Amino acid sequence: MIYLDHHATTPVDARVLDAMLPFFTEKFGNAASKQHQYGWDAQDAVDRARKQLASLIGAGTKDIVFTSGATEANNLAIKGAAAARRGERNHLVTVVTEHRAVLDPMASLERDGWQVTALPVASSGLVDLVALSEAVTERTAVVSVMAANNEIGVLQPIKEAAAIAHAKGAWFHTDAVQAVGKIPFDVAGLDVDLASMTAHKIYGPKGVGALYVNRRRVTLAPQLDGGGHERGLRSGTLNVPGIVGFGRAAAICRLEMAGESARIRDLRDRLLTRLRESVPGITVNGTMVERLPGNLNVSFDDVDGEALLVSLDDVAVSSGAACTQAEPSHVLMALGRTKDRALASLRFGIGRGTTAGDVDYAAAKVHDVVSRLRHLSPVH
Amino acid sequence: MRYSDEVLRRVRELRRVGELDGEHVGTGEVGTLDEGTVVRIQVQRDGNRIATARFKVFGCSGAIASASVVTEWLEGAPIDEALRLTAARVMQHLDLPAEREHVAKQAVDAGLAAVRSAK
Repeated sequence: MIYLDHHATTPVDARVLDAMLPFFTEKFGNAASKQHQYGWDAQDAVDRARKQLASLIGAGTKDIVFTSGATEANNLAIKGAAAARRGERNHLVTVVTEHRAVLDPMASLERDGWQVTALPVASSGLVDLVALSEAVTERTAVVSVMAANNEIGVLQPIKEAAAIAHAKGAWFHTDAVQAVGKIPFDVAGLDVDLASMTAHKIYGPKGVGALYVNRRRVTLAPQLDGGGHERGLRSGTLNVPGIVGFGRAAAICRLEMAGESARIRDLRDRLLTRLRESVPGITVNGTMVERLPGNLNVSFDDVDGEALLVSLDDVAVSSGAACTQAEPSHVLMALGRTKDRALASLRFGIGRGTTAGDVDYAAAKVHDVVSRLRHLSPVH
Repeated sequence: MRYSDEVLRRVRELRRVGELDGEHVGTGEVGTLDEGTVVRIQVQRDGNRIATARFKVFGCSGAIASASVVTEWLEGAPIDEALRLTAARVMQHLDLPAEREHVAKQAVDAGLAAVRSAK
């Protein structure tokens, strides 16, 4: 099997696993145990990991809140900020192509009385900054725009969007899950107030994430009560092994990102070239310019998407987003794709372990399968 | 929703794909692109039996596997036995979930229409 679905998740890097293991067995202490060595060792390890993550994103360590993942970080950011600003503000702004982990909290707040504006995108996948500045008002509490899209890899203009939000006194949140560790992402340089991230997209373990909170600018209503951990923002015993892994994964990214992203970009471009050469009737979804180096998303004419995926028996890719099956991707629909095209699409995610051989095999396999299915069809 | 190994096998090892023409050929076509499934089955009749069956299909794995099963069962069958083909049998053989009943039914309807039109 060849794995080309690195936007869905990534394998844990051996170096990350090595770093984590002692914290399951020998150094298993609770980081909140202040009275003995077990607790102190765990606390030290958490501090180290916090520093590693903070370094990756240009933050201060006090501004990192560990969570169970990015979904929780998004909920804390959006619901926590809305709750803190309730009364003075009544409006939220986001984009139609956000992950469900942003759209669903927004929908929940809308049912609770908040007004929500979800901006459309161009066929490139990019949000229009003029439309954004018209949508944000003095009543807007939070603007949420993801840094890199999980389906089409498109990179939104975060710095400009944050400035637009701040001009009207709104706080700016970005779901940076697919950006952190893959492309340069500096919270100070971008001037964001809140940023969500997770370990399992960057060769760390599942079940641990973080929210960057610029505490000088924003206050959040915590979503979990029970002990006041993480400066009161997120109660609950810390997942020490997971956090250690997250830190190590972040440190590796910081060292290797530049070289790795160039290598990954070349492989992604190689895949696209091979596909374009051998398969007629394909469309790339989203701009290739402002895009994650490892992402490719392609629609195929006259092919059933589900049959396509099933036929790719030894190449692991996804159709649209990993999370939503049997529904046309809301992201591809937002680009203006018809339902059929949205369904017959493949998302490729190149990763740390991907080789040129993998890419060539995948391209050839896709060509074979698409040809076979088109030949099988009575209407092609 | 995960399909059974039988469905996967039939999708990955396509047999009896194609078209027929000539004498004693009957054709059945069911479904539209808008609906998401189009299945065409053709049979060639030899006296009181179906000699050959072929299919073409646009649609999901369930649709492909159903058409594959139908053509396999039609080939070599006496006409009266062929006409007793049901969607329930196809669903059971492929272990299709209830929500996929319509693709089995479409394949069977196309097969029966082909048998009836083969003179």
